[in-house]
Amino acid sequence: MDHDFKAVQQRVRRYWFKDGIGEIVVGGLFLLLALYFAGHRFLPADTNAPLMLDGSLALLLIFGIYFTRRLINVFKTHITYPRTGFVEYYPEAKDTLQTRVFIFFLVAGFVLLLVVFGRWVGTFVWLPGFIGFLSSVILIVIRTRAIELNRFYYLAAASIILGLICSFSGLPAHYSLSLFYALFGLVLIILGVIVLAKYLRDNPLPAEGEDE
Amino acid sequence: MSENLRSVTDLDRLIHEPARLLISTILSGVVSADFIFLQRETGLTKGNLSAHLSKLEEAGYVKIEKTFKGKLPLTVCKLTASGHKALAKYRQQLQDFMKKTS
Repeated sequence: MDHDFKAVQQRVRRYWFKDGIGEIVVGGLFLLLALYFAGHRFLPADTNAPLMLDGSLALLLIFGIYFTRRLINVFKTHITYPRTGFVEYYPEAKDTLQTRVFIFFLVAGFVLLLVVFGRWVGTFVWLPGFIGFLSSVILIVIRTRAIELNRFYYLAAASIILGLICSFSGLPAHYSLSLFYALFGLVLIILGVIVLAKYLRDNPLPAEGEDE
Repeated sequence: MSENLRSVTDLDRLIHEPARLLISTILSGVVSADFIFLQRETGLTKGNLSAHLSKLEEAGYVKIEKTFKGKLPLTVCKLTASGHKALAKYRQQLQDFMKKTS
């Protein structure tokens, strides 16, 4: 009986992933990261351009933390809620300014740690493999929380495989990282578009005034 | 009738009705959900869902708000504190009953 209660609540939680919009937005963010890492190879080192590019990474991190979920919600408001209804979930953690600042510094500190470690071992070629592994852990956690969404297993496997391929590609670190984000971003977007297309086909817009 | 079996008569009948139990369970896991979502998840007709929601609202278990999300009209339903309490009590009573009788 208790299992049935939990199954209903799990199904409601899974609803957030039903439309594939999350994958499309995160995939877009990964493509921006790919552009950032590729940009370092093309910009002339004797100008302010690399510095501006570093600044854009900070903006990208802030965008990722602050606006990804909001952007997803904007799309959901126009695509998902009119078709299959609106659900407001409990926040994962207390969503205060302190929490956001803490997350920002945590991410910035983690990136700094990776840079220091890379300089210490003298190479960054392992980074795509590491990021691929990290992404797969996050995806498996999502899969565990939102049961029966096996596409997250496939994404986790793709992130590990792409990470390893990019790490052993023999490309310079910036290129291989850029390649990883570009490929994984594309995989996310393609999967998201497939899921969204199926969702739109299965759930046409209801007639006007269906809401009670 | 044994005392064990008699305890089932103490169940909250308002929550015990299958449709209302499903509505309450869905709402217990989220801050709020709208009418369209509840209709799709429960498989009830509009009239049936409205009637069950009205009963839950009258009992103070559910709060219903007519609002907007962007330009879209929304009928948003939330399980109130007393609704959460009643559902938790119902689950506990049912679990106790199952343990006693199994």
